[in-house]
Amino acid sequence: MRAFDVVTAKDSRHAVALLAEHAPTAKVIAGGTDLLADLKFSSHGPAMVVDISRVEDLKAITITDEGLSIGALVTHTAIMRSPIINDMFPALVHAAHTIGAVQTRNLGTLGGNLVTGVPSMDSGPTLMALEAIIVILSPAGRRQVPMAEFFLGPRKTVLKPDELLAEILIPKQNLGKPTHFLKFGLRKGQALALVSAAASVWVDVDTQICSAPRISLGAVAPTVIRAPKAEAHLDGRPLTADAMAEAGRIAASEAKPISDFRASAGYRRELVAVLTKRALEGAYELAKTKRRGA
Amino acid sequence: MAKVTITVNGEARTVSVPPETTLLKLLREHLNLTGAKLGCDVGDCGACTVIVNGKSVNSCLMLASQVDGFDVLTIEGLATTDQLHPLQTAFEEKGSLQCGFCGPGVIMSAKALLDEEPDPSVERIRDALAGNLCRCTGYSKMIEAVQAVANSVNSHPSVKSA
Ligand SMILES: Cc1cc2nc3c(=O)[nH]c(=O)nc-3n(C[C@H](O)[C@H](O)[C@H](O)COP(=O)(O)OP(=O)(O)OC[C@H]3O[C@@H](n4cnc5c(N)ncnc54)[C@H](O)[C@@H]3O)c2cc1C
Repeated sequence: MRAFDVVTAKDSRHAVALLAEHAPTAKVIAGGTDLLADLKFSSHGPAMVVDISRVEDLKAITITDEGLSIGALVTHTAIMRSPIINDMFPALVHAAHTIGAVQTRNLGTLGGNLVTGVPSMDSGPTLMALEAIIVILSPAGRRQVPMAEFFLGPRKTVLKPDELLAEILIPKQNLGKPTHFLKFGLRKGQALALVSAAASVWVDVDTQICSAPRISLGAVAPTVIRAPKAEAHLDGRPLTADAMAEAGRIAASEAKPISDFRASAGYRRELVAVLTKRALEGAYELAKTKRRGA
Repeated sequence: MAKVTITVNGEARTVSVPPETTLLKLLREHLNLTGAKLGCDVGDCGACTVIVNGKSVNSCLMLASQVDGFDVLTIEGLATTDQLHPLQTAFEEKGSLQCGFCGPGVIMSAKALLDEEPDPSVERIRDALAGNLCRCTGYSKMIEAVQAVANSVNSHPSVKSA
């Protein structure tokens, strides 16, 4: 690895100040599971690394007036163990569990996962299907960006060099919304997604009529994407087996997968149809159990 | 240079290292603890697994300065001069390792699991070892060894704190 200096931030304000001082030649390190793996193979690197791994005020999972707030430094392991998240969004727990292996999940953070901007990121689809909002801190203050506008392309986000991703907010109206996530990889552990899909939907269990269906796909476009046409097909209609299968086919037509050494574009497209349908089925099942539990 | 003080295997150590030094490099090259192995160096193989503040991590993916003030346990910290750790004994008895390169990492992952969950299911053991690649054994005998320790801990609670 090329030489660099490290400064350690004490809290989020300090982190923002350090970034302002050292941007644009600085890089943030959180869990380091993406950054360090990258820097070892890179011919150029940052002059300064701002270590935010000790920023305790970005490690909380709390319900606020705005919704469910997850600090950027919450690790995948912490998500899996959070009683609030297990209760409200089992899909997020499942997504966290599919990431790497125990060692990576103990270090890797939710914020770091999103900032990598890779289309295969496993926390992306569920959060996008829940219309999450990214909260960003900088010397200019605090701004919020809807998840759907956060990614610009592979490994590109709207974050500027002096900006810190501070928290991920699931808006109040979506708290407890039935959501399901599925990842298809070549192995169970230590495998990136060939395709992933998440669906969230409110369902009137008596009439089967669904509202606000949200479908999001990973690893089949330059960024994690929504599938708006598939969503429109379902909105306000009964969530029947046919409707869910058709939504899957429409989602497949909205995906823009590539062929690479892991799978062909055609195979990925087939997977989108199947995973979208199953994600909808999973969300529907959850809607039914929630009703029974209530 | 970055000045780093850590408690390794119960002993406080202070070293000055270049800031880009990883925890793995600190252990192997500055503290002469070569039990944790350098395999892939990018977090895939798990040969560098150590326990930091109770959690298993890839030491190749942490900067030394990120563990300043923390408690680090490596494979060298398990056995005493006259007694192996129960996991090491079980791995030996079951013939769980062949070439042995992955061993220190696998055993540290298993230790982190058993410390939190003394009686894990096979599914949980598999999950805990998923980040440790072994190309010799096929994993079955490792899983049996972890199960054997789990069972003995449950019948003799006193071995638990080793
Ligand atoms: C073996 C292995 C397996 C993996 N498997 C998966 C997998 O299955 N699925 C998956 O999605 N990912 C996987 N990853 C990728 C990675 O572990 C995750 O993306 C992780 O969540 C990254 O978080 P981190 O805290 O380690 O990020 P870091 O490496 O610390 O940072 C990543 C990037 O984000 C920036 N950054 C981090 N936090 C912030 C912040 N708060 N504000 C601004 N910028 C920030 C950094 O500057 C850097 O550019 C894997 C990685 C490894 C090594």
